Amino acid sequence: MASKFGLAGGIPERRVRPIWDAVDSRQYKAALKLCTALLAKHPTSPYVLALKGLILERMVKPDEALSVCLNAKELLYSDNIFHFDDLTLSTLQIVFQRLERLDLATSCYEYACTKYPNNLELMMGLFNCYVREYSYVKQQQTAIKMYKTVGEERFLLWAVCSIQLQVHFSSGGEKLLALAEALLKKHISSHSLHEPEALALYISILEQQSKYDAALEVLSGDLGSLMGREEDKLRLQGRLLAQACNCVAASEIYQKVLESCPDDWESFLHYLGCLLEHDLNLPKSRTSEHTSLFSVDSALAVKTSLSEELVESRLTSALSFVQKLQGNDTSDCVRGPHLANIEIERQRRLNGNPTDRNFFDALVNYFHRFGHLSCAASDVEKYLHMLSSDEITELLDTISRSYDASSLSVKVLGLEITTYKVQELLGIFFSKSTTELQCIAKGLVETFYKNLHLSRDLDPQESMHGEELLCMASSVLVQLFWRTRNLGYLLEAILVLEFGLTVRKYVWQYKIILVHLYSYLGALPLAHQWYVTLEVKNILLESASHHILPQMLSSPLLQETADLVKDYLKFMDDHLKESADLTCLAYRHRTYSKVIEFVRFKDRLQHSMQYLSVRSDSVVLSLKQKAESLEEVESVLDNVNHGTRLVELSNEENMKHFTFNEDTQARPWWTPITSVNFLSEPFDEGSTPACFRAKACEHKSTEKDDRKMKDAERKSLVPRLVYLSLHGSASSLRNTQPNGSGLDTAATEMKPLLEKYARSIGYSIDDALSVIFGMSSGKKFVKDFAPDIVSWMSFAVFINAWNLWSNESIIPRADQSRPSSWQTVDSLVKICIEEQLIDANRILTSPGNNIPVLVQMITEPISWHVLVIQSCVRAIAPQGKKKKKGGPSEQPNIPRLQAIQRSVQCIIDTLHSVQSWLSDQMGPEEKALDILLSYLQGTSEDGPGHITCILEENSARHNPELGGQIAQSLETWSTAGVIRRIVGAEHKMLVELKKICDSKLKLLGSVSSALSSVLH
Amino acid sequence: MTTIRRFCCNDLLRFSSVNFDHLTETFNMSFYMTYMARWPDYFHAAVSPGDRVMGYIMGKVEGQGESWHGHVTAVSVASEFRRQKLAKKLMNLLEEISDKMDKAYFVDLFVRASNMPAIRMYEKLGYVVYRRVLRYYSGEEDGLDMRKALSQDVEKKSIIPLKRPITPDELEYD
Repeated sequence: MASKFGLAGGIPERRVRPIWDAVDSRQYKAALKLCTALLAKHPTSPYVLALKGLILERMVKPDEALSVCLNAKELLYSDNIFHFDDLTLSTLQIVFQRLERLDLATSCYEYACTKYPNNLELMMGLFNCYVREYSYVKQQQTAIKMYKTVGEERFLLWAVCSIQLQVHFSSGGEKLLALAEALLKKHISSHSLHEPEALALYISILEQQSKYDAALEVLSGDLGSLMGREEDKLRLQGRLLAQACNCVAASEIYQKVLESCPDDWESFLHYLGCLLEHDLNLPKSRTSEHTSLFSVDSALAVKTSLSEELVESRLTSALSFVQKLQGNDTSDCVRGPHLANIEIERQRRLNGNPTDRNFFDALVNYFHRFGHLSCAASDVEKYLHMLSSDEITELLDTISRSYDASSLSVKVLGLEITTYKVQELLGIFFSKSTTELQCIAKGLVETFYKNLHLSRDLDPQESMHGEELLCMASSVLVQLFWRTRNLGYLLEAILVLEFGLTVRKYVWQYKIILVHLYSYLGALPLAHQWYVTLEVKNILLESASHHILPQMLSSPLLQETADLVKDYLKFMDDHLKESADLTCLAYRHRTYSKVIEFVRFKDRLQHSMQYLSVRSDSVVLSLKQKAESLEEVESVLDNVNHGTRLVELSNEENMKHFTFNEDTQARPWWTPITSVNFLSEPFDEGSTPACFRAKACEHKSTEKDDRKMKDAERKSLVPRLVYLSLHGSASSLRNTQPNGSGLDTAATEMKPLLEKYARSIGYSIDDALSVIFGMSSGKKFVKDFAPDIVSWMSFAVFINAWNLWSNESIIPRADQSRPSSWQTVDSLVKICIEEQLIDANRILTSPGNNIPVLVQMITEPISWHVLVIQSCVRAIAPQGKKKKKGGPSEQPNIPRLQAIQRSVQCIIDTLHSVQSWLSDQMGPEEKALDILLSYLQGTSEDGPGHITCILEENSARHNPELGGQIAQSLETWSTAGVIRRIVGAEHKMLVELKKICDSKLKLLGSVSSALSSVLH
Repeated sequence: MTTIRRFCCNDLLRFSSVNFDHLTETFNMSFYMTYMARWPDYFHAAVSPGDRVMGYIMGKVEGQGESWHGHVTAVSVASEFRRQKLAKKLMNLLEEISDKMDKAYFVDLFVRASNMPAIRMYEKLGYVVYRRVLRYYSGEEDGLDMRKALSQDVEKKSIIPLKRPITPDELEYD
């Protein structure tokens, strides 16, 4: 911090040090005091002012901080400043950055660099400013300037990175690559290169221009020695040769890679692809980001141009090479060459011998060798799908015969699990009868228990042997539920996992499935509890929030949801802000590959679909939470530019670039993505296992979730629509004729938003209008529009608000028989809610129930409508002295007030019916417990209950073999305990919803009396 | 079959099956990215044929003179891919890079004193407990500083165990 003369920013270091110490220990008040004292002595020191700005910013006084820093900036710009150093500038930069005024920081450095043109430190500061602003062209110019000033390699490479970023983020920047190449060539000819990262960047510049031979030449020359590890160099050489279509040389290089890294699967696929001269469209290299040139799937699609004989002979040579690799491995844990064997045989099959047994034998061999490993089945999943049904039967038979199920060992257990997994992966369970499935589930649980003693000596923190068995048992039970709709199975699916967590409390796989099962069952508080134990934080918030967030957003647990949303947004916002600093770090440490990677990653996160979606959710959620107070709603809207920013974010251009970053791997099969739940659909007995498999895979493979995109687009409009609705409805009541330019502009703005809203449900605005009129008049069935019913209701509410004050009537005035837009909303609300209440089934016993829909109806469209009403009422309410001065122009519009009064009454009645329905649902806990337990009685041979018995018996039986720790945990097991928690959780959901209704009713009561006093 | 390659940002979005493990910490972004920016050769991912992240190792190289050493900050393998010596492969890679590329004297790591499975694994890989760091983990649990000497340290001086435990503020590096 101190400069070489013991001065910091022109001030003696000893005077400054205590201030920084106070800042570092968060003693901001003390720091400010010291700083003010120092400022008295040096009133025109930009550095001391910058320090003061920094302290004020930390004290969350952004306006004062900005003004002090602007003052410092002005002083810097004045000519009589003697001390003009990087310390002052960097301090100012920190404050401006935290105040989100990067432009000010940049202009300070720009000024300084003009004043002291050859000061390297200042230029580096300026370069960093441009990095933070993502100004690639200016970055490049500054870097070139630095390079010209001192001739250092790193500055040239900074410029080259900046060029690469321009090429990546703009179209037609390819010409710049030639410039980058020329710059590098010139530098190399006089100075060579000295960093591996510099070499990698140079090669990637050549590669991007398809100059593969030139790149290979560089790599094989002196510069090649910069590559630290020989394997990395070979891999790069192989890739370049393959791209240059020099397949023979490439395959030889990959062979070398495999000799030193026999387990490198990617290199093996490249090797094989080159050997077979597959006509592959190779993706262009992108400095360091990992790209897979070949995959098992893509290899399937490509055809070789070689003759059958040649393919056969090359495959034979590949096979002997791979067999040699197999022989070299003595440890028996290098799986690559064995999987390679299967791949080679698969190619043989594709090459014209579909009945060839070798493929099958290779698979069998793989299982013999690695079948006990947890990943054995998933390793060969893609190959399993190529087997005929006879072969599958034979394979399963062979694996089962390879071990003696009665002998208990970790290896045998592993093989047993693999046998089950293969069946699961192939969807074979779908073709079993329910009786068979019950046996399978029972068998899985029994096998788990039987082998539990194998884990007795493991550390309690280690995973148990056979953990997967309970996941599979639970999965089979869910399938039984899907097929029979017998709730008992679903409860048992839960019990099995809860049992597992009683033995080992850390198994995250159990927790994730439970999150989904409890969500589906309607016991969301339990889902939330388990989710919390997963400690999802930092980047996992982006990849794993999908397990819980969508369910929470349609639940009455508003506060818990708000907390999740807040954590997520904080993480994303913070990262997007700090990301450029990390890019600066990568520049500083000359890790050029990461410079580009970091910028691209930031772009990926910035365009996250979930990020956009949650930003809307966050505002909508605040609106829901504050819906009973118009003032608070207005302040929420004030804080988000009245929703305009969100609308901008969902424009078409942005939507095109959205990224989906959710890691859906761990989701259960029945809900592969958030918008799909097979359990809500009927089970098709006629379907084949392959159909189910395809169905589950289909969702996983389509990266973009269209429904989610549309939902996100629609949600992003809501805050703005709410704002405009409130804005207009209030003013409209003061006059019978809507006028005033403000209103007109708002009305003009609202129409395209409503059109966009309708479009996101899949309708033109005219068609959408006829849908809501049709539904409200009973001519169209609400059921037919069920998936988007909440959006339809909101649409009607917004249309009503717009209709209140727009000059342009959307309801043809000539048609007197048509009900007013108020009536349309009223009857739509009534019909839609009633539809939800018809179902007399107990929520307790109806998983996938309609609580989420009901919650959304009440917290969204009804809330928005009540807000519109509140806004109208406020406009006509006596406002003290103002009212008296009002005069005749503020005469309320009586017919409209009557319409509002009727609407209020309608909502009150509707909410009362929801209340009484909720009360009916909330029976005594003991009774609810008995009802759920009765599903688990297991009175008949068929039906649920048997698993419950196994769990109860095993936990009650004292088995000394299990060891103290496991035995102890089993003692705490209680089926009734789990069921009681479910009852409690479902009850909580109802109570929370009832609370929301209560507060709305309370508000509507007072609105109603206010209206009565005006009308009578 | 495992492809071991440099860890990249996109892996952060796909490593949840590794990081859901309760003993694996999910650090903040600047932590991961600082490692990527400063020590890219010390941060590797192991990926499966389906391009799933099986596990990863994250480390750095630091120190001066004879204490110039590689450090393992985190190594973790998803449960599905355990019991096939993947952690060993990753550790060997980091050791090789410390030894051959950076000519470090030793590799060290910290482990919770209660994490016996991990301690046993490191011992199998040739690490010895060099010293105990009192209340290293959140001021509660002790940590063990384990070391393995590399070829530069011919006399294996770096791994002679300290007689007394130390406190976190006596540590040379963060």
